[in-house]
Amino acid sequence: MRLLLVDDEIDFVATLAERLSLRNIEADWVTSAKDAEAIIQTKHYDLAVLDVKMPGMSGRQLKKIIEKKIPGIKTIYLTGHGSEEDYKAGIAEAEYYLMKPINIDDLIAKINDALAE
Amino acid sequence: MENRKLPDESALTFYSRVSASISHELKNSLAVINESAGFLEDIMLMAQKGRPLDPKQIGTLAGTILRQVQRSNAIIKNMNRLAHSLDEKRASIELTELLGLMVRLAERSAVNKGVNLLTDFPESAILLTTCPFYLETLAWMLLDFAINNCGGDKTIRLSAALSGSGAQIGLTGFEKISMDAVDDFFSGRLAPLLTILNGDLTVDENDRRLAVMLPETVSQTSKT
Repeated sequence: MRLLLVDDEIDFVATLAERLSLRNIEADWVTSAKDAEAIIQTKHYDLAVLDVKMPGMSGRQLKKIIEKKIPGIKTIYLTGHGSEEDYKAGIAEAEYYLMKPINIDDLIAKINDALAE
Repeated sequence: MENRKLPDESALTFYSRVSASISHELKNSLAVINESAGFLEDIMLMAQKGRPLDPKQIGTLAGTILRQVQRSNAIIKNMNRLAHSLDEKRASIELTELLGLMVRLAERSAVNKGVNLLTDFPESAILLTTCPFYLETLAWMLLDFAINNCGGDKTIRLSAALSGSGAQIGLTGFEKISMDAVDDFFSGRLAPLLTILNGDLTVDENDRRLAVMLPETVSQTSKT
């Protein structure tokens, strides 16, 4: 499986990718929706983990763009925001919606569940 | 009574939106600390299985955690200062300090919309006797308006200057601005605040500039 992580917090997303790699999960990471749009032009992903609130373009908008390029890709939203609006959108649009800070074992379990669907 | 209620509703909206933004920022910071601590744990587990520890890697993770603690502390300091601005309904304040705090609190919202907030403050202090929390509410509402009506260069400039016996707050960087647009955006929420603060808002459509004049001392009758 190949994952794409998108989050504007570089220390968060880079460390998460490294921790996933230690668990034999290959994950590329970028810190903006713009960079995500660029990387999906050349690489295929099975699942995207997207921060909901990002400068410029939200994770929800980015999800639509990614799905056009990679139909069938699974998505997990991450957020530190926790608004009612985000929650409703999260559970309606993505496979899973997780609140930061996350437990990596929980994330991996959700990744596996999403890919098994 | 109705006029007294309205600014409190605006102030409550301001306080709740700032609180939500602050909790979001803290969650992000905690998420970084969580991943860094988790990575340290991973490294220790691997070390127990014989993989040598890399002091540089551990130093980098420690540095990341320290930076996030400083970031969280700065966020909490801002929250604390905001909370204490309710201590006295009427007090002496330094205007650029108050506006600086509002800019820091509005920063996340600006960044999310790709807007750069710049300040143009004098070196000398601008002392006013006013209602601090209502002035913060007004400043934050104006910044919110500016962020949502920003021009193509995505830069909003907030200025403060002594003016006559009081002070003037200025905002530039709008795509376009008119008094009607200001009225539409605020739907009557601005006038009660301006009344309490004895403030006067003007709009210059040609210069695309919004300004608020504030007195050196707010009148006692404005006290809520």
